[in-house]
Amino acid sequence: MRPHLWQVVLGAVAVAVGFALVVQVRTERSIETALQVSSTRLGEVAYRYRQAELEDAALRNRLVSLRQEIADEEQRAAAGRQATAALGPELARMRALAGLTPVSGPGVLVTITDSNRPLRPGEDPNLVLIHYSDVRAVVATLFAAGADAVAVNQERIAGTTGISCVGTTILCNARRLAPPYRIEAIGDPAALQAAVTARGGILDELRAFEFPVTVEMERDVRLPAYTGTFVHQFARPVDKGG
Amino acid sequence: MWLPILGLAAGLALGLLVSVQVPLTYVKYSAIAILAAVDTLLGGMRAQVAGRFDLRVFLSGFIVNTLFAALLTALGDLLGLDIYLGAVVAFSIRIFNNIGFIRRDLIGLIWRTRPIEAGET
Repeated sequence: MRPHLWQVVLGAVAVAVGFALVVQVRTERSIETALQVSSTRLGEVAYRYRQAELEDAALRNRLVSLRQEIADEEQRAAAGRQATAALGPELARMRALAGLTPVSGPGVLVTITDSNRPLRPGEDPNLVLIHYSDVRAVVATLFAAGADAVAVNQERIAGTTGISCVGTTILCNARRLAPPYRIEAIGDPAALQAAVTARGGILDELRAFEFPVTVEMERDVRLPAYTGTFVHQFARPVDKGG
Repeated sequence: MWLPILGLAAGLALGLLVSVQVPLTYVKYSAIAILAAVDTLLGGMRAQVAGRFDLRVFLSGFIVNTLFAALLTALGDLLGLDIYLGAVVAFSIRIFNNIGFIRRDLIGLIWRTRPIEAGET
């Protein structure tokens, strides 16, 4: 039996519809798997996409400017490093001068201690004891003779160090000193020795009172760093211009 | 009578075999157009079953319904209206109606008037 024309047409249309149906369904499913939204919201997706592109462009511009900023900052940092590098040796020198670093070098060792001479009746005991003023006089003499660094019993003398006494003990950097007092100084050994042993000088005077006194030139004197603090409560730096 | 169903199956198979996709811009419109096409196809089958199928009415209906459904949706987009919802409702109702008629006619054909089938074909 030969099929009628309308049957053929209906069949052909059915083929077209079936084909279109499947294509549509597959397209829709691919959209949903790719974008997680249905095709009716494609416009929204497009809008979001444009927004994202605008944002992306803005961020790219920001990236460029930030890169430029980084480069500028790096240059500035490099300049800063050079300045810091220049400051390094200066700072080290300042610390050494302030007594904040252990130092070594040629110098002298002056040892003074209380006299073991028996007291005569009625004699003042002060006559056989080393006073803080004696220690201070030796230290001052050494500095005056050009000593770079001085320490008493391994207590470094810094710019703010005071030598004083409380009762029967000598204080240096708020630390108690006990005899014998070993005063070490770094500097020209000959000059230092000459200064402390000068006629009429401090050691001459101590010897006159029969105190045991020794002076030795040393090739390698080692002095510790100042371990105290610098508290400037009232002093303020003054500008050169002011 | 079985040719359209055969054609539908062939079309489905062809769609599965050939890897074609609707361009994303037209997905919305093609969906409505397909709904209209399905409706027209069912209408044609119904007319065939009822014995009052007209080729001109069917073909013109198929083309006009399909195109107009898509155009209406596009117009809705232009106006910012969801006109396609109206098309969806209208075509869905018609599809249900057509399926109901086809079902009833088929039942009548199979149980009571088998000789008529021979006369009609």
